[in-house]
Amino acid sequence: MLTYLMRRATMAAVVMVIVSVICFVLSNVASDPAVGIAGAQATDADLAVVRQTYGLDRPLPVRYAEYIGNLLQGDFGTSYLAKRPVLEMILERLPVTALLAFLSMALALAIALPLGCAAALWPNTLVDRLSQVLAVTGQAIPNFWAGLLLIVVFGVQLRWLPISGSDTLAHFVLPAITLGTFAMPPLMRLIRAGMIEVLASDYIRTARAMGIRPFALTFKYALKNAVLPVISLAAVQLGFMLGGSIVVESIFALNGVGYLAWQSMSRSDMPVIQAIVLLISMIYIVLTLAADLLNGIMDPRLRGARK
Amino acid sequence: MTIFRSFTRALGLCTVLVAGAAVTAPAQAGPEDKSITIGMGEDFPTLDGYVNTSRDGVVITMHLYDGLIYRNPKTFAYEPLIATSWERIDDLTWEFKLREGVTFHDGSPLTAEDVVFTLNYWADPAHGARSQGSVSWIDRAEAVDDLTVRLISKTPFPAALEFVAGSLPIYPSDYFQSVGPEVFGQKPIGAGPYKLASNEGGTIRLVAHEGYYEGGAKRTPSITTVNWRIIPDTATRIAEVISGGVDWIWNVPSDQVEQLEVVPTLDVALASTMRISMVALDAAGRTGDTPLKDVRVRQAINHAIDRKTIVENLVGGDGELLNAPCHPSQFGCDQSAAVVYDYDPEKAKALLAEAGFADGITVKLGSYRDRARAEAVQSYLAAVGVRAELEMLQASPSFSSWREGKVGMWYGDWGSFSMADSSASIGSMFDGSSNDGARDEKVISLVKEASSELDEDARKAKYAEAIRIITEQAYWVPMHTIVMGYAYTNTLAFEPTLDELPRFFDASWK
Repeated sequence: MLTYLMRRATMAAVVMVIVSVICFVLSNVASDPAVGIAGAQATDADLAVVRQTYGLDRPLPVRYAEYIGNLLQGDFGTSYLAKRPVLEMILERLPVTALLAFLSMALALAIALPLGCAAALWPNTLVDRLSQVLAVTGQAIPNFWAGLLLIVVFGVQLRWLPISGSDTLAHFVLPAITLGTFAMPPLMRLIRAGMIEVLASDYIRTARAMGIRPFALTFKYALKNAVLPVISLAAVQLGFMLGGSIVVESIFALNGVGYLAWQSMSRSDMPVIQAIVLLISMIYIVLTLAADLLNGIMDPRLRGARK
Repeated sequence: MTIFRSFTRALGLCTVLVAGAAVTAPAQAGPEDKSITIGMGEDFPTLDGYVNTSRDGVVITMHLYDGLIYRNPKTFAYEPLIATSWERIDDLTWEFKLREGVTFHDGSPLTAEDVVFTLNYWADPAHGARSQGSVSWIDRAEAVDDLTVRLISKTPFPAALEFVAGSLPIYPSDYFQSVGPEVFGQKPIGAGPYKLASNEGGTIRLVAHEGYYEGGAKRTPSITTVNWRIIPDTATRIAEVISGGVDWIWNVPSDQVEQLEVVPTLDVALASTMRISMVALDAAGRTGDTPLKDVRVRQAINHAIDRKTIVENLVGGDGELLNAPCHPSQFGCDQSAAVVYDYDPEKAKALLAEAGFADGITVKLGSYRDRARAEAVQSYLAAVGVRAELEMLQASPSFSSWREGKVGMWYGDWGSFSMADSSASIGSMFDGSSNDGARDEKVISLVKEASSELDEDARKAKYAEAIRIITEQAYWVPMHTIVMGYAYTNTLAFEPTLDELPRFFDASWK
């Protein structure tokens, strides 16, 4: 287990370095950070001052080396625009995004688990068909479109829920539905497929022959095994959600990390973008690692295979 | 992005249809408690007026801080603010008499020392004022006595008062020095009609400054609280104003303004701005050996675009056709000095053939803001054989691609920092800087001379001459003025201004 952990940690570090290089180079090449800082209507004089003030006149490798040096000391940099430590800005907004991701994932699982099981228990029936349609629809509708539809129906017409902002829990309902429906379909399909496979396996047949009641059979014996791949997928989906939150947070004006990312991109606030990308990739790595460990705990066979 | 936009539009329509049927609730705040909730698109990393140069940032700056003088947005006359009078002492020096009894939001008095400190601090390039152009002309500020300040420019600078009135807020020197620029940007103190009450989680709250002086050009606000909500998505902002979640929004796309007209609780406007739009052409050949270096090709492009139809159908509202490379309200912008190219596709084809491009040419066309307009230009050009490869980007990268000479044509716009002087338009776009795709030596020297010429008639003559050369050489296709779309609850008395700076201290509840 320890070697396994070590190997994963090293890999994570390598991934982070690669991510940081790609992010650093791309964000500096894609558009001139000085224009982002000085504003689109800045004059050449403005740009010259900005380049000098922010050290943008130095070669890219030098700036990257400096960046990594600071990073190793735990310094994520200072925002060009807010002139505040980037880490502080991100941590300030992380609760909003974390709450959004948690609610969305809870919602996605709350729909995907029962529907997926039902579809597997009664394959090719109306229940199965309906849940398939729901999954395809959920996946086919883009995030922003679903979000805006919800705004029109529940915010403008029915006036049940607030449209934008993050003051109360009610403000999170529409965003969580938007993001949750986006994460739900693959989870549901995976549960359905897993359940169908498990339900056809020998030990279930044996259990059934032994007269174990269908309810216990499904939820006690079958689901536990079918849910294994779901854990890995849910971890990846949670990572996706952080990306999806960029769109959702902008639509619903939630003041989270996703919105900060979008805002920083449109203003070329490089230190913030770089820190967020690193953070997201770090969360991805940690989540996948956690999922693997959890699977290892739940399935002894996996532990053996990786010794 | 295209898909996103068309979805947004379709949704805007749905929203309006739904709203027509819906019962409209009052806004979360309103006339009862003398507060207003406005929906803005941009967040502010800092509230420092010298660092935050985004449009929304300039607007909030205006509410928090006062400068020495004020420019009336209707008459364009300078009016007293912190300074009660001002006079030119010599070619380089302006003297300002300060008002007695002006206090900052913390109650401390505003004196000459604050003015001198603020202007000298930001005139130093090392302190990183983001819009260097607005301070780089200042040599130094000096206090004559407690209530008299002299502002000395490096060279004779006719546009000095424009800058003093536009973008030079006065800070309390003691507070600024004790907390430093970063903290100041988060917890600012100014002498403007509103002070900052809170700034958190996407909402900024401003409340009226009780000690605000009487008699200045900005009046003591009748709306005592302004809730400044940051809602980045346009469609959400529109939904909020329809549902009454906010009282006022702007930057509404022109087609949606038309749709919002049917909402019974809203007033809408597509109002004039000082922003001008143009198709800039790479006459200097920054993109390489381009046909655009030939004046006949540039003239052909001018003849090929039916600007009038674009203005009527795609700009709408108060949008006006332009012939000169500046806004008609700006000093020195003599439209009659311009050579006008009428819409004549046959002539365009003939000019192209004469230049040796009978088979047409292929050029990159950069643009942002409005795809429909850019595509209209593209198809007019295609009709005469100019194949324009359209590249739609966000504002900042799009402008960068023009400045860096990556596109041969750029359908962009220019706001002149809301300054009613041609030095901010012609003087910024034809000065040999990276904005300048013409690099015409004669024009460059004309605008340089005009920017330091104190005699008004001589200045006008120089700009007129520059306009004549620019249009004769067809360095641009001057297009139209940009209109700004507003939507606000119809119980609000609000008037849009030409300088795109909404003033909530001037607004009131009906």
